[in-house]
Formats: sequence, C-alpha cells, structure tokens
Amino acid sequence: MSLLSRRGWKASLVFASIVLAACGGGGTSTAPPLAGCNSGTTQATFWTSHTPPDSDSLKHIVDAFNKQSTTTCVKLVQVPGSETDIAKLTTAVRSGTGPDVYMLDRFTVAERAAAGVLTDLSAYGASSLASNFVSFAWAEANFKGKPYALPFDTDTRALYYRKDLLQAAGVDISALDPAKGPPTIDMIRTMANKVNHKTGGAYDVVGFIPYINQGWHYTWGFAYGGSFFDAASCKVTPNDPKIVQAFKDMFYDWDKALGVDAVQTFLSSYSPPNQPAQQDPFLQGHLGFVVTGDWVLGQIATYKPDLAYGVTYIPVPHAGDAPATWAGGWSMVIPKGAKNDKGGYEFMKYITGAEGQKVYTKETQHTPTIKSLASDSSLFPGQHQFFINQLPAAHSRPPLPVGAFYWDQLSTAQDAAVRNTADPATALKAAADATNAKLSAFCPLT
Amino acid sequence: MNAAPRFHLTKADRRNLRTAAPFILPWVIGFFAFTLYPIVYSLYLSFNRYSGIGDAQPVGLSNYRHLTSDPLFWKSLWNTLYYTGLAVPIGLVVAIVLALAMNQRVREVAIYRAAIYLPSILPLFALTFIFIVLLNPRFGFVNYLLTLAHGPEINWLGDQRWTKMSVVLLAQLGAGGPALIFLASLRAVPSDLYESAALDGAGALRRFRHITLPLITPVILYDLIYGTILGVQIFTPAYIPVGGTSGGAAYTAGPDNSLLFYVFYLYKNAFQYSDMGYASAMAWVLFVISVVLALAIMRWSKYWVYYEAA
Repeated sequence: MSLLSRRGWKASLVFASIVLAACGGGGTSTAPPLAGCNSGTTQATFWTSHTPPDSDSLKHIVDAFNKQSTTTCVKLVQVPGSETDIAKLTTAVRSGTGPDVYMLDRFTVAERAAAGVLTDLSAYGASSLASNFVSFAWAEANFKGKPYALPFDTDTRALYYRKDLLQAAGVDISALDPAKGPPTIDMIRTMANKVNHKTGGAYDVVGFIPYINQGWHYTWGFAYGGSFFDAASCKVTPNDPKIVQAFKDMFYDWDKALGVDAVQTFLSSYSPPNQPAQQDPFLQGHLGFVVTGDWVLGQIATYKPDLAYGVTYIPVPHAGDAPATWAGGWSMVIPKGAKNDKGGYEFMKYITGAEGQKVYTKETQHTPTIKSLASDSSLFPGQHQFFINQLPAAHSRPPLPVGAFYWDQLSTAQDAAVRNTADPATALKAAADATNAKLSAFCPLT
Repeated sequence: MNAAPRFHLTKADRRNLRTAAPFILPWVIGFFAFTLYPIVYSLYLSFNRYSGIGDAQPVGLSNYRHLTSDPLFWKSLWNTLYYTGLAVPIGLVVAIVLALAMNQRVREVAIYRAAIYLPSILPLFALTFIFIVLLNPRFGFVNYLLTLAHGPEINWLGDQRWTKMSVVLLAQLGAGGPALIFLASLRAVPSDLYESAALDGAGALRRFRHITLPLITPVILYDLIYGTILGVQIFTPAYIPVGGTSGGAAYTAGPDNSLLFYVFYLYKNAFQYSDMGYASAMAWVLFVISVVLALAIMRWSKYWVYYEAA
C-alpha cells in the first residue's frame, strides 16, 4: 500500500514540477541570442558592479563586441558589489550560477585566486598576452606565477585645484603649474587655509581635506616614501616610520588644526554617504583642493564642463622630493564554474584589448593598460596627458591574498588618526599585527 | 479526552495523514534543506578554514580562539549590545504609544492606522536612503527641528557618538509591525474593566497603569524577546550608509567603526575576507548569546508578566 493517497500524489507532482521549473532557470548557454547579437551565437554573461557613467561605457563595448562576434553573445548584468565586496559573486559561484566574466578590482586578484574563486587562465593562452600590457598591471593579474585575470583600465592620482576659489582668496596659483614640479605640503596648507570659509560657525568651504576621495592611506604613504609590504619576510609593514609620519601629518595633525568635529560635520553635510558624482563637493565649489583620479576628468566634462580647475602633482613632504602617485584599476576574470568560459574569454580578450580599452578611455577618461594605446595622444585630451605621464613611475598596491583585509585595516587606522582617537603609530601597529596574523597562512607567496 | 493509546491512529487518521503529508512535504523539505542543513554545516565550518570555494581545512578550535584576541570582534559585539540595549526599550515604548494612538475612537482612525503602519511595509533600503537625507547635519529636517528648539547641531551619521542613535531612530520607522500586535492585545482587554475602574474614579493614566499595562505584559514579553533577537542581528541600516562608499568615507563601518555591528562584521569576514570558517564561528557565538539573552528575559518575566488564566 502506498504511503500517499491519490490526491497526495497529485499535490506532490505539482510541487515537484514547480521545483524543477525553478531549478531549470540557471542554464544560459542555450538561451536565444539577445537583440543585437548575431544568430547562432552562444550567450556569455558578464557581471559588473560599476554604475553610470562607467557602466554605460561598458555597455557600448559589449554592444560593439556582439555586433562583430559570430560565436558569442554577451549579456551585461549590473550586480551589487564594490572593490572589496564580492558577496554576490561568491555565493553565485558556490551555487553554480556564476557569470562567465566578472569585472574585478585588480589588486584583489591574488586574494580571490587564493580563495579559489577564479579560473587559472593559462589554459586559454593568457600568458602570451603578457607583453601587451603595462608590466605592473600584468603583475597584479598573476598569482603564484599563473595568470588569473586580464588587466582592463588603470588610473593615477593627482591634486586637482579650483582656480576660481583660490584666486578669489588671493592665492597666486602660478606656483601650482606642474612645470615647476610638485608643490610641497606646507605650500598647499598655506594656500588651503586662505580658502577656508565658515557660515554660522560651520565650514561651507574647506581648502583641503587630504583624506577624502583618493587621499587614502596608500596615497600619502607612497608620497612620504613608505613601503607597505616586505616581500623578503612576507610581512606587511604599515608601521614603516615614513607611513606613520604621513598619517601624523596628513590625517592626525591636519584634522586637529581644522577641528575634528567641524570637518566631520562639513563632510556629512556636503559629502554624505552614497552621494551621486554630480553633487561632489569639489564640483560644487566646497573644496579648494582634492586628491583624486583621472576618471574625475570625465565626470567634470559630463557634469560641470565650465569648471575652472587645474591639475598638478600630489604634494611632497620636502621641496625637491620626487613626486609619487599610485595606480589602481580593474580587470576581467573568469569565475570558477563558468558555463561558457571559452565565449567569456573571447569577450575578455576583446574588452581588455586595444578596441575595448580605446572606447573605455575615450568615454570615461580612465587610463588604458594596453601599451599600444599609450602613444595615441588623441585619446588623452587636455589634462589627461598629465596623468598618463605619471604612469611609468606610479606605485601600485601590494597584490596580497589578504589585500581587502589589509585595506580595511589601513582604513581603520586612517579613521582613528583622522578622528584623533588613536595615535597613528599605535593604530598602524594594530593594523600590521592583525594583517600579518592572516597573511602568515599564505606565506611564502611565490 | 479519549482513552486511546497515544500513538494509535484510526483509519480516518491515517487517511488524513496520507493526504496531509504531501502538502506539508514542501515545508519539511525546505526546513531540512534550507534551515537544518545550513545550521549543521556552519557548525562544521566553524572548525575549519574555508574560503567559500574548494576544500575546507580542519583547524580545530583556532577560529574560536582567534575571536578572543580580535579587537574588531569585541568592538562589533559591544556595538551590537549597545544598539540592542537602546533600540529594544525605545522600540517597545514607541510601539505601545502608536498602538494606543491607533486604538482611539475617532472617525479618521483608519487613516491614522494606515499612516502609522505605512513605513513598516516600505523597504528598509529605501527608508535608509531617505533617512540619510533627513539626518544631514546642515540641510536635514531633523536638525532643522532641533535648531527651532534651540537644540545642538548633531552630526548624526558622521560622529561616532551619535551613529548608533541614528540607527535606533531609523528602526522606529518599523514600529508599525509590533504596534499592530499591541493593538490586537489592547482590543482584547475587556471593556468592562475600564468601565468599572472609571466608575470608581480612576483617571486615564491610572487605568493604563493598572489595567492596560498588566494585561498586555504577555505581548510585551513577546516583543522584548523578538526585538532582542532582531536587534542582535541588525545589519541593513548600517550596511547601506557605510557598506561600500568610496567617496568621503573610508572603508570603515561608520566613524570609528561605530556601526560595525556583529552581523556586518560576520558578513565582511565571510564575503570580503573569504573566511567562512571564522564567520561561522562568529555565527555560533551569536547564537549562544541570543539564547542566553532570551532565557534571561524569560526568567526575568516571571516577576512581571501577568497571565490571566493562571
């Protein structure tokens, strides 16, 4: 005698078919081609956490690829995530529903490769592309001697200044001409203090807040000549005395001079969380100087084309010091378990190749990692050439299997210095201890 | 009661069971696959090093040992208990006040009920975005009201002393849910008690203190336990303002990591640092803490909860 009655069987059949229908939605390889794709192509999914205007440009590249590809049809999907947050990707890969291509912050490639999220690209012949890319970007795309990513864009950082605000405050801006070399930090401090303005006891214009936008721990650490990682001992070194000094000058003392609470109120007012790019306080005339990247050139062109601004080197501690900046950027990877990995790789080659990067550079003012584009000056109108010129000497963040953790630890130390809640040496020592405890499990790295 | 043996099923019972089984089967399968299995698996993972992909490597108790020396673990625990300690009592009072308001015998009560309940059905995500604008220190509505009352200008989300209070305020927008349960319990209070108290000369406050409050204590207990369990799991209102911005804020969970709540730190370990084992250990510690808190409240409740039937 069956356990289930006839009616019960019917109910369970309905349930089973619902479950089967729900499970059946994952396969993408047999889906019909999308609009704009050639017939007979197989679909590949491409995930990015980028938002407009950058994601608009990615869409243009995808469309151009689909038009010319006879084998692959790429579907662009915007997903939640950030530089260090790939929760959506991890869970999707774990459950076998990940994309075929993912856009990953390049400095986390080693970390994600170590965690087993990424496919080794050796089998696709990625190593043969090495010479096409600038060397630091290619190095970041590798882990333990194997390629796990193809480099996409890069960027460098510089000091932007508002000519109108500075001149209105009586500052002689001729000293900021890049031809005169990098300005000193003292020089910028003097200029910035003239721009500070308060209404009703609260700042509505601040000359310079060194740590907002791209004025990160890495930015000032490199500017002071600090080193963040010692390869020989396989240990991070955020408590390098030069980095400690950078934290003291640019975060702790700078904020103390302006007033810690006053600056924080200014930031919460004019640069609140999740602020759209067009409301940026520099664009809106609330900041005299800001350290940020070349992609802001594109945002200025889009949102404030008549802005009176200039660009120069990130200031240095002492007159005569060599200028320093660092380069970041993104890359394309194939997550583990990709269903159309070959199609995905074909697209990756296209988007990271000269054609894809050319479109991205033109539309977003990021910097290409493809060497052949570096000499095409038509791609770098106006101030962009200044950023390109800095690239050969740019630093890059150490590609560590604990890169995201290290970044957060440095940020915690930076935050403590900015708010004057801990002295920089102590905060950076804590960051070193916590990170090295995690890192030791992966050593040696080669 | 019938005197049949405890597990004896009549023919009709068996037939009913056979019919019912397939209907409850989806839930049973769901419970085993999506609740019980992950719980057991996370206990296993808490004794392993596991990135989320590939093989787990057994590490014994090392994840649990590491918790004790991790300053961010302690910070997140402190933040969470601090938040829960503030949010639960404040939420309780707000919910009771709202329920009393919804219980007024006025003609437009249906409109008030809808207005009070509306924020509870809006997505927390959208509410948080609106809240960020309302809490802007210079241009926000909340500080505008404060300045009208000659109060201080508070940097709600940018000052570590106020961030948790901001999240407590945000949580009150969801008070409509518990208020509805309180409303039901208020309606269940027999009106003859109020009538006789009024005849004896008891004012509104007295009636609330000596009739309403004792009779709704079982619901207060429920709300305390439920609120505490939800409170220690607070995540979204902290994640949205500070989760992934690269503008003004550093990658800390709010100023001085003051919004690094327990589950937020757990999430960071699991999905940003690829350390599922450590995150699982954190989850089990949180489970134990929740159970201890719930048991403590249950025990305490013996002194103040009034069960009419008893």
